[in-house]
This record gives sequence, C-alpha cells and structure tokens, in this order.
Amino acid sequence: MATPIYVPRINNNDDEVKVLSFDVSIGDKVQADQVVGQVETDKAVLDVTAPSAGFVLGFVAKAEEVVRVGSIMLWLGNTKDEAIPALEEVAVGQSASRSSQITSKARLLLQKNGLQADVIPPVDGRITVEAVERYLSVLGGAKTEPKDAGATQLVDGLPDVQGNPVNLTREEKGMAATVTWHRDFAVPGYIEIDYDLAPWAEYAKQFQDAKGLLMPPLLPLMAWRMVEVARKIPRLNATMVGNKRFEYAPVNLGFTIQAGDALYLAVVRDAQEQDEFGFVNALGDVLRRAAGHNLRESEASGATIGFSSMERWKVTRHIPILPPHTAFMVAHAAGQGGKGVLGASYDHRVLNGGQVVAALKKIALPKNN
Amino acid sequence: MALNKESIEAEIKAKVVEIAAQTGDDASELGLDDIIPATGLIDSTGLLELIAWYEKTYEIPLAQEEINIDNLGTLTRMAEFVLRKKGLI
Repeated sequence: MATPIYVPRINNNDDEVKVLSFDVSIGDKVQADQVVGQVETDKAVLDVTAPSAGFVLGFVAKAEEVVRVGSIMLWLGNTKDEAIPALEEVAVGQSASRSSQITSKARLLLQKNGLQADVIPPVDGRITVEAVERYLSVLGGAKTEPKDAGATQLVDGLPDVQGNPVNLTREEKGMAATVTWHRDFAVPGYIEIDYDLAPWAEYAKQFQDAKGLLMPPLLPLMAWRMVEVARKIPRLNATMVGNKRFEYAPVNLGFTIQAGDALYLAVVRDAQEQDEFGFVNALGDVLRRAAGHNLRESEASGATIGFSSMERWKVTRHIPILPPHTAFMVAHAAGQGGKGVLGASYDHRVLNGGQVVAALKKIALPKNN
Repeated sequence: MALNKESIEAEIKAKVVEIAAQTGDDASELGLDDIIPATGLIDSTGLLELIAWYEKTYEIPLAQEEINIDNLGTLTRMAEFVLRKKGLI
C-alpha cells in the first residue's frame, strides 16, 4: 500500500512551509529515516525523513512551493510500480489508508469530537492525541461541544467601535493559535516564590568544573531538577482531556530559546530516561540546533512541561505562556541581592496553588539540599 | 579570508563582540587567552549562538562532548580546534 509522507510542522508559528528541495527521485529506494527533502520557514530549515523503507512513487508538492503543514508531500510504495492513490481516493479512503498511523487514544478522541482523521495534520507522520488536540485548539473549540472542564466557546463578534479587519500573516496566525488555546482549553494562573541563589550557583559551578563544560549548566540543571520533580509528581506533567486529567507517560521538557527573531520551544523528549549529565548534554544539543535554526520536527513540538528563563535580559519577573496542552511552566529570572524569583504558569484545572508552590520549592534547591 | 590561526581568531572575536553587544556588553578588549565564559561578556544563550555560528562558518559539526573548555574555551583554542579538525595542524 502506498504511504504518504506529510509536510511536517517546524514550529507553532507557521501553518505553511516552503518545500526547499527533494533529495530523492521517482523510483529511488529509500531507507527508513532517510532524508528525502527539506522544508523551510523564514527562520528554519528542517529535514524531512521517510517513515519507512520503500520506493519513491511520486511527488505531490514541488520544490519552491509553499504548502500547508500536514498536506501530502510525496508518496512511497513497497514496489517501484505501485499506483499512487487518486486524490479523491485519498480523500474518501484516507481514514483507512492512515489507520495504521492513528494511535488508539487519538482514534477515541476523534470519535469523541466527531472528527475524521483526514482533517488532522499529523505530528511526525502520525495522528496522535497531540495532533488532534492541536487541531482542536486551532479550531478554538468550533467543532467541539463545550467541555465540562471549563472550556468556553468562541463568541467573538464585531466590536461596537468601527474599524477594519486585517488578515493575519501566517506567523501571526501561528502565534494566535499558540496563545488562544488558553482561552478555550486552559485556565492559566501564576505563582512565584523567592529562593536563595547560592546553593544552585555553587552546585552548577562544581558541575561545570567537574565536567569541563563550556556552557554554564545552571539552567539545564534546574530544568533537570524539574524533570525529576515531574517524574515523582505526575500531575505536573499533565493536561486536561475532556473531564479527565491526562498524565503524560514521557516527560518531554520544553525549553525556550530565542535565536535571532525566532522564539523556539526546544524539546528534549523522554527526559525522564536520562541521567543528569545525559540530560544536560541532550538539552545542549537541541538548544544548539535551535540557535542554528536546525531543530528537528520532534524537537520543536510535543512538550509536556516547560522551562523559560529571561535572565539574559535582566528581567526580574516574567509570566510565560503555557505551551499548548501543558499544565506547568517554570519561569526563571535574574536574581538580585542573593535572592532569585522562581515562578510558574500553570493550568488551574490540573494544579492548585499549593501544589505549584510545593513543586517550586523542590526546584528551588539542587538535589540533596 | 584565508584559513589561518590569526584570521580565525579575528573572525571569532568579531562574532563575540557582536553577540556581547546584544546584551549591552563590550567585548572589544577580549584577549586571545581569556576564558570566554569566565569573562561574563556573553551568557549561555550567547555562547549557544557563538557555537552554532562557529559550526556553520567553519563547517565543523561538533559532537556535544567536544564542546568543552579545553577545545573551545578561548579565541586561540577555538582557532586551533578549527585547524585541527581540518587537518591543518
């Protein structure tokens, strides 16, 4: 059966990307994970890889063409001469042809919301709960019944004051989609505590000297502490789905990094499986790729928990936006007079203030303190 | 610009000065053997930008374990590392 390769998402700010080039030709045999082409936004280039081995049957997108995230880019087949499904067959039979790429939880969520799989842009080539929830958040609940967990329906009407509606750019649409999920799906709150800077500074200095690191490891170590805490307190690493708390299995740590004008949430997936040094290295890897605008798709999406610092700008307090479908994002800022402020944005449907304060107190101290 | 130690050091220093300026710091007095992170002229985000630029400019993809003080801690070490990676010293 022919297998489509979909146009991947590079970041939340872009619902369309440009196909830069293809590295394969019709008839070529490709291996699983082989790079078949590249897509780009204004700020980043991403390799597109084959989800499985096969032969290139044909291209739907063209080089230099701007295409929608989640649309079909090219087709692979088991043999060179396999037929490419006609567009109408794809439209009609997509649920079946993609059935093996839809997770069972995603299928339930689709049924719950009365959606067909073919309208959902895949994440990493698969229809996952995250992909469905992302679609729902972009819709702003338009296709869903009001959630019994406090979600509201869109009621935007024209204001009473005259003005002109202006179409959003694709970057503006992406940003709007990222932040408006709060209004429809989250109940954001913010809490902060004071903490002593010295224990963390000393711990990070010892760690850096012992490992001979070039990069100051303070923030990666604090993020690792957060991962440890989230592993022990699963509700920190969760979201709401319907009227249930959905506790994620992996801890996918999202870490904000500004690279030029682009703001990325670089993600270390399965962070709970790393040890401390392994995590510091893994985070260093993804941050370096973000700084070079070379994040892989899996490193630019799927955060289940977040960490943000604005120390660089000497900001002493900031309230980060919760990434979609997360309930806890730590805000680190510049310290003053030996004291620092550690805050957290949180989804009040999932966490209460006491739970957030308890978590922040644990993160405010290095392990074994 | 020719690929020799002095020209590489000058290019890297110019990049450090540019990055430091983003946060209002002046790195024009940075010495060849100053430990860059210890000067406080550029922070961890700036260092990431510097390393990403360094990899791209000199076409030397780095493994995470290569990103340490011994290899990349000073302007001189960074320049020598480029030349070593390219088999020029």
